Amino acid sequence: MSFDIALIADSIPKMLAGFAMTFQLWLLSAVLGLALAVILLIMRISGRWYLAAPTMAYIYIFRGTPILVQIFIIYYGLPQLEFVRESILWPVLREPFGCAIIALTLNTGAYVSEILRGGVLGVDRGLKEAGAALGLSVSQRFIHITTPIAIRLCLPAYSNDVISLMKSTALASTITLLDMMGIARTIVAETYAPYEIFISLMVIYLFLTWIIQRSFGWTEKRMSRHVRSEV
Amino acid sequence: MEAITGWWDDFFWGSLVVVEVFVVALFLTVAFGLIGAAAKLSGNRVALTIANAYTIVFRGTPEILVLLLFYFGSAITLTAIAQIFYPEVKFVDIPPFWAGSLAIALIVGSYATETFRGAFLGVEPGQVEAARALGISNLKTFIYVRIPAMWRLALPPFGNHMLSLIKDTALISIIGLEETLFVAEQAIGTTGKPFTMFILVGVIYLGFSTIITLSVMMLEKYANKHLEVAP
Repeated sequence: MSFDIALIADSIPKMLAGFAMTFQLWLLSAVLGLALAVILLIMRISGRWYLAAPTMAYIYIFRGTPILVQIFIIYYGLPQLEFVRESILWPVLREPFGCAIIALTLNTGAYVSEILRGGVLGVDRGLKEAGAALGLSVSQRFIHITTPIAIRLCLPAYSNDVISLMKSTALASTITLLDMMGIARTIVAETYAPYEIFISLMVIYLFLTWIIQRSFGWTEKRMSRHVRSEV
Repeated sequence: MEAITGWWDDFFWGSLVVVEVFVVALFLTVAFGLIGAAAKLSGNRVALTIANAYTIVFRGTPEILVLLLFYFGSAITLTAIAQIFYPEVKFVDIPPFWAGSLAIALIVGSYATETFRGAFLGVEPGQVEAARALGISNLKTFIYVRIPAMWRLALPPFGNHMLSLIKDTALISIIGLEETLFVAEQAIGTTGKPFTMFILVGVIYLGFSTIITLSVMMLEKYANKHLEVAP
């Protein structure tokens, strides 16, 4: 047993060919998931029980079950149902890519909406009262006072979720998608060299995590530059 | 629904495997978390570097990648060792149960390291100084002063780690552990009802998550009962 450097040099370009797939899965579900999270958040804090209750049930279900099970239900499970096969969504649900995007979006949406809620609840009451005293309407207060402050408050937690979404994209390899993880598994099945392949892939993922962390760190610093104390 | 009849006992045993993995991994997670936190707080540079590398690697790479690396990596190493003594051996592996429990415990343990580290730092220095002033030994201070004060702080995030742990057990079906997801795949093979079976798996996991959430709530109440205001 030895560490085969030539094999690593040979397979890293192959795995990087799957980066486009990983990146698409990550970016699409991050954007769609954020949109879903905002909708869920507004429903949750609307103060109307018939909007808040279904949202809470949704969040509870999607945070309480493994993402792998969610992916399997959507990709393998839904085609069992007659009406799904006849619906207009069928072209999307037939493809593993569409299923992966839907599963990742639904999952991350549930987590992110809770993060956003934490941010919104963290906004100082006095600021909103000041807005009301100045005669701003409820929606004006939400858009111009709550939102900018809440974004800054939930940025650290959101960056963690974006990273964990990036890690979850690796699960798309279980439904035949050839992202970086899927390609790595194929190579390992052919060469039977798990150490070389998987450790190199770990380094690639670590690099991606590092980039995400750094960009969020930079954004956070920029967004809170007005509160930074002069040293 | 009638498709599930005849599979109840299999799902029961599958759920039992989930519980077993969870319990084993929970103990390991606490152990890794405490060791990691101790290393980060020790002030020893070597220990600190190792602990930092540990948390960076296991928090920054996909769970499935760590799991596959552990399982196939250990298998190839063990096979190579076995072949030195018995050249006719073809394949030796760590049972998926242990490889899987160890892998998810290492992953969640890296998160627990940060939680415990933060919680130990959150213990009021005055309490420790008071214990020292009373002549209580370092070990006793650790057990009777630091640990009780620290676990109150660590409990809410640790509840989330337990939820991650139970959800990560689903991944171990990929390397062949016969837990609920694996049972569902077998049941689908005979019944051809993927939706029903995977939904059942989801319901089982949701049940486990609910039990954990409620237990953590009760533990939090117990931990903070000295802070309650008399009615």
